[in-house]
Amino acid sequence: MTTVPTAPPSDYAPSLLARTIAAFSGGTGRAAKLVGLALVNALAFWAIAELLTQSRGLWALITLAALLALDAVYFLPGLVPAKFILPGTIFLIAYLVIPIFFTVITAFQVYSTGHVLTKDEAISAVQTQSLQPTGVSFLMSPARTADGTLVLLLLDEETGKGAVGDGDGLRPLPDGTLETDANGVVQSTSADYTLVPASELFSLDTQLARYVVPTEDGAAIRPEGVQTAVELKPTLSYDERTDTFTNIETGTVFTDNGKGSYAAADGTELEPGWREFIGWTNIGAVFSDPLVRGPFLRTLAWTIVFAVSSVFFSFAIGLFLAIALDKPGMRFRRLYRSLLVIPYAIPGFLMLLVWAGLLNDDFGVINKLLPGGLDRPWLFDPFWAKVSVIMVTTWLTVPYFMLVSMGALQSIPSELTEAARVDGAGRLQIFRKVTLPLLMIVVAPLLIASFAFNFNNFNNIYLLTAGGPAAEDQSVAGATDILISYTYKLAFQAGKGQDYGLASAVSIFVFLIVASISALAFWRTKALEGVR
Amino acid sequence: MSSTRMLRRIGLIAPVAALAAIAAITASAATGASKATVVRIWTDADRKVAVEKVAGAWAASRGVEVEVVQKEFGKIRDDLKTVQPETAPDVIVGAHDWTGQLAADGSVLPLVVSKATLKAFPGYSTNAFSYGTAVKRLYGVPVALENIGLVVNKRLATVPKTFKQLETSALKFQKKAAGNIGIAVPQGAAGDAYHMYPFFSGLCGYIFGNNKAGNLDPSDIGVANVKFLRNAKLIDGWNKSGLINSKVDYGVGKDAFLKGNAAFWITGPWESDTLKKSGLKYTITSFPEIVPGCKSVPFLGVQGFMVTKFSTVHGTESAAKDLVAGYLTRSDSQQALAAANGRFPANTDAGKLVKDPVLKLFGKASVGGVPMPNIPQMSSVWSELGGAWVKSTKGAGATPARASFVSASRNIANKIG
Repeated sequence: MTTVPTAPPSDYAPSLLARTIAAFSGGTGRAAKLVGLALVNALAFWAIAELLTQSRGLWALITLAALLALDAVYFLPGLVPAKFILPGTIFLIAYLVIPIFFTVITAFQVYSTGHVLTKDEAISAVQTQSLQPTGVSFLMSPARTADGTLVLLLLDEETGKGAVGDGDGLRPLPDGTLETDANGVVQSTSADYTLVPASELFSLDTQLARYVVPTEDGAAIRPEGVQTAVELKPTLSYDERTDTFTNIETGTVFTDNGKGSYAAADGTELEPGWREFIGWTNIGAVFSDPLVRGPFLRTLAWTIVFAVSSVFFSFAIGLFLAIALDKPGMRFRRLYRSLLVIPYAIPGFLMLLVWAGLLNDDFGVINKLLPGGLDRPWLFDPFWAKVSVIMVTTWLTVPYFMLVSMGALQSIPSELTEAARVDGAGRLQIFRKVTLPLLMIVVAPLLIASFAFNFNNFNNIYLLTAGGPAAEDQSVAGATDILISYTYKLAFQAGKGQDYGLASAVSIFVFLIVASISALAFWRTKALEGVR
Repeated sequence: MSSTRMLRRIGLIAPVAALAAIAAITASAATGASKATVVRIWTDADRKVAVEKVAGAWAASRGVEVEVVQKEFGKIRDDLKTVQPETAPDVIVGAHDWTGQLAADGSVLPLVVSKATLKAFPGYSTNAFSYGTAVKRLYGVPVALENIGLVVNKRLATVPKTFKQLETSALKFQKKAAGNIGIAVPQGAAGDAYHMYPFFSGLCGYIFGNNKAGNLDPSDIGVANVKFLRNAKLIDGWNKSGLINSKVDYGVGKDAFLKGNAAFWITGPWESDTLKKSGLKYTITSFPEIVPGCKSVPFLGVQGFMVTKFSTVHGTESAAKDLVAGYLTRSDSQQALAAANGRFPANTDAGKLVKDPVLKLFGKASVGGVPMPNIPQMSSVWSELGGAWVKSTKGAGATPARASFVSASRNIANKIG
């Protein structure tokens, strides 16, 4: 199928890479492709089988679709170009589109502490949690009657009276019928009951968990584990027809409030609730709820300041160092370069924690080194904490832009700068009119990427100041919290625990902001290319 | 496409499909194979070995299996929300202050422990694991207790009997040399309401009051109650004298105490080993009363085991409850589990057997302590309360305590909504 267009010249010596590629074309290549595809197919089928046993039909279907697409592309002729795009596309969907999809879905739901179950699960959880122990407890042994019916042999812990319980209720047994052995296990002296052997006990789990021996006033004895049983009295009753809970004692009715809870007329909610679609409430909260909106705008403004100034300072200083080190014939140039790259070479996590220690207002090295009067409350004052965050981020990013600029400077043809000099341009003029525009073509996309990265630079904020110090307004967002750390706090430190729904709504806004700023910037960069 | 090429293609596809089919069959056979009752337990690294031993002994006696999975302690709570049912645990190790959230989520099952067993536990420890807005149920079995105490370097200061003595000797020591710290209580920029609680409670502060039913009432916030605000001026005084300085974070405070730059350190049993290896002459004592009528006490933390909702799905509910409520409450189990991470056992019989002098001293310092509130609303308190302390004790430019605690209280109320 593949034909070499012309015979290579006699002195042509193919490189190792070329020879390797050649080895894989033709029969060997086809065999390798087959084996690879077989493995991918096997893996996918195994995954599908696994997903089906876990009853996740939708995911099995998605995997199957992806597999069929892959097979079609590699087996059918005429789809060759798709080979290059398809694997990437599949991963793009798996790791980008699907998470975004779920984030969007979550933003429209009440999904927070107390709202994680499905409605059916919540109904049964409310029923279980609202059972009130009456204080009567039994030592218990599950046993079978002559006809094989499962019954509970119960020995009242307080009175010591024996009884047998089944679905019809509790029947007292004559004294002495039930005894406890040395291990405290209830044994029967009557031949009517055979104890369930220990080896079978746990296979009865589902049966035992649902076993109910009704007693008076709607109360019932239920097994608790395999050796004890307790009497529990319901305090709420559920009516399937009207989908309501009623408090048995007070008669208060709890109805589905459409926000994932059963609530009474006075607003009292039953716990647990469930995950429920609530429309635009979370998104709307970002605009209308003063507790969310206020800090959102303040945090947005600071996030932009943080991202822009971190990128600006890192690039400016990085470029300056690159130009300074570009001077040929400088002594110890390599040493300087190596030293300057250190912040980039050490893991950021570590450096951030070290900086947090260095900047400590009273006990940190920085304030101790600074002459009196110049020491600053680096971490405890909202303004200086912001300065610290930008400073440390810049320190961490400078080496990156220094390296990038060094490379980019090399690529600018020296004829251009020489021509400019001949034309009588000064050094600054050359830099501004020739070097910088050419440099920007290479660096601008990196600046945008760096901006987007810093916009969501959770680590730097969280490890340095944890968003602190506390801001004066009434919110979870501290003075140095950026949108993403604010989102994190919303998700995990909300008023009643966690609030994933609201956090998802905020993160959609973060995504939209970053995406639109980046798009705008890339569009501007295209214009830059016109310089060339 | 010619028919021969078509055939060749089918010939190519056949082995691929065959291999795939074999994989699918193996997969389904493998998943259907295991039937034995397996109780999966999530635990932290410290306790893993002890849990394996104790739960293993239970499993052997019951003829079932246990699978102990190691998790980072703090992650156990959060991961329980997102875990897939197939890999979810039946039993978890947890802190009592998770109870409200986990019960409100429906993630854990209510337990009933026999009266005889309950007697072996201090009332507050089982109460700490109880939660319910309508019906209060028990959701966990206590295993280990922890609390902070006042650690005193006896070479640098005498053990204070009154707060006045503590204040005087701390300030005297602080003035001796630059870099000395009065009371090394950790705060840092993010604040630390947990370690500050003895001061907070000592000034008559409380977090949530109790309603008539004896449950914590999230609408009764005591962060800026009248009595506390009356005493708030003392905080401004401590800030001015430098007795308490929010710039002391965990690392700074620990370092200062170990190097002899602080005579007083507030910490808990997790630093037992550090203290024993420090070579310092120290003792641990309870907090002296600051204001008459209000006790200066630490927060109490109770760690224990809970049964998750997944046990019902796994068909291991009765086994899990048997393990947690029946076996782990026993004195010998408690002793092994508490010793594993150097904590005081919750079971009082096991507590009597504790020989470790440091643990005993921390145990004494716990008297009168208050369990951390276990209701979900507590999550809005930590950062606000910690933040108020930071703002009011940051030295120059600090906010007067009255203002910062009033605003913290308002913020908490707003967040709870």
